[in-house]
Amino acid sequence: MEKRESLWEAYLRRGLSRRSFLKGCVALTSLMGFSTDMFSKVVEAAENKPLPVVIWIHGHECTGCDESFIRSGAPLASDVVLSSIALEYDHLLSAACGAPFEAHLDETIAKYNGQYILCVEGAIATKDSGVYCMSGGHTFTHLLKKAAAGAAAIIAYGSCSAYGGIQAAKPNPTGSAGIERFVGGKSVVKVPGCPPIPEVMTGVVMHVALFGTIPPVDGDGRPKQFYGNRIHDTCYRRPFFDAGMFAETFDDAGAKAGWCLYKLGCRGPETYNSCGNLRWWQGMSYPIQSGAPCIGCSNSNFWDEDPFTSRLPQYGKIGDADKIGTALGVLTAAGVVGHAVASVVQRNSRENLIDEDHHE
Amino acid sequence: MAIKSVKEVNRKEYYIFSPFLRIFHWIMASQIVILFATGLLITKPMNVAITEPVFSITSMDLVRDIHFTSAFILCASLILRVYGFIINKGDRLFPRVWEGHFYEETVDVALHYMLLKPHHASFLRNPLARGSYAALYVLLAIEILTGFAMYFMTNPSSTGGMLFGWVNVLVGSEMMSHYIHHYVAWFIILFAIGHLYMVIRAEFMEGESEVSSMFSGKKILAHTPKDANELD
Repeated sequence: MEKRESLWEAYLRRGLSRRSFLKGCVALTSLMGFSTDMFSKVVEAAENKPLPVVIWIHGHECTGCDESFIRSGAPLASDVVLSSIALEYDHLLSAACGAPFEAHLDETIAKYNGQYILCVEGAIATKDSGVYCMSGGHTFTHLLKKAAAGAAAIIAYGSCSAYGGIQAAKPNPTGSAGIERFVGGKSVVKVPGCPPIPEVMTGVVMHVALFGTIPPVDGDGRPKQFYGNRIHDTCYRRPFFDAGMFAETFDDAGAKAGWCLYKLGCRGPETYNSCGNLRWWQGMSYPIQSGAPCIGCSNSNFWDEDPFTSRLPQYGKIGDADKIGTALGVLTAAGVVGHAVASVVQRNSRENLIDEDHHE
Repeated sequence: MAIKSVKEVNRKEYYIFSPFLRIFHWIMASQIVILFATGLLITKPMNVAITEPVFSITSMDLVRDIHFTSAFILCASLILRVYGFIINKGDRLFPRVWEGHFYEETVDVALHYMLLKPHHASFLRNPLARGSYAALYVLLAIEILTGFAMYFMTNPSSTGGMLFGWVNVLVGSEMMSHYIHHYVAWFIILFAIGHLYMVIRAEFMEGESEVSSMFSGKKILAHTPKDANELD
């Protein structure tokens, strides 16, 4: 691909109509979370911007993010991969393999230095020089550093590449961590989630592709249009929370009636994601809708905040902080009473001594 | 005419606490009770178990609103504390950790409280109490920081979100802020039990006016406290 074509040129080459191109742009505009005022800018970018080169690498992870990505409904993942971006290298989706495949990566990095988008899935393994995650005969940290050096933008897909992921759970034997430390100080757009919502994944890469800039992000580097609200604040079960109507167990009347799952440990009040408004599989459902409390899979440390089915950590048979606190409170109160009695005894014995001194 | 139960004692009056500190103290005490009670209810809400939200009194919402209002009152009352702190020396009874005798005196008081010694030197505020109050302010600061970090993150790009959002990042996650907020609340209650006992004990067993001074601002003492010079 010597001269990189734009989205419009890609449509022309395939003989698609102007009408379907504009329809595609409308879909893109809403997908990226823009208002319709931005439509003309999207069209302009789609007409002129050459399709961006994307390098998509996978580290310490399960590739579940890709499973999510390929199920994107609007736009279809196939449209993104085949017509909206120039996906030059992808561990999972590429048909090629072996030495020529790795050589192609080096070529791409050299040829499009400073222009390509780097998408990263999966954490880095930092312990023991990174040997716990190898790719193409090198450590993944090596690959990441190499690819990040010439990247125009870096997108971290999934909780693994954003924060370390499940394998970073205590005791974290591989030293798993988010990619941020190994990209040479470049800013990283984080798209956390385990996995992220498909439409969020395609939406973010399309934003970078069309505008050449990263979308507006919050303090943690997450795109605001998708991670600006708590699931709790967008949850259709929120009225039950406010009313104090809770499912107490997974099989009680409240659970059947679809009441709030807060007492079953729902992490909605701490989790920033679009599950409540975009939902999954083209708006079909999301965990809370199907009766499962949110586990906060897009949070930075969710894997260590167990149990997922309770609001407070449990300490074996002793119970949670409230039980321990009550016990400590009772103990303190008992100690106080005991101390008071002992103090009085001490004072009386002292006074008796003084009295005896006086009598003698 | 001498009344039998009246005896003449030579006492001195020490003006310690400004009205601002005293008002703050009682606001804090009442709000801590409200905050703790509503806080427990927020973690483990009562289930109203009615069948239609239409007829609900939004009990959870109400409990949360009380919690938040109470928190704002407590934070606002800190202004009184700061003002008193500025204008009145008696409001500034720090743990003087930079002075050597602080440690000896702490050990001395601790030995007495462990009933290993019959008495300890008299203080306007003894070093152990000073340390515990300083610790309480630290606990309070943790509650305020984690509390606002959770409260304002409803809208992360709001001013409050900008001011307090970093706390969630610092402790690792927003859920961790919830945990810390909850655990520290328990420590504050344990402090309160001990505090209540110790001041009553000091008032009735050692003639220290610990309770009355928080109403009147003054201590009327027959003995001279060791740290009386800190009022000048």
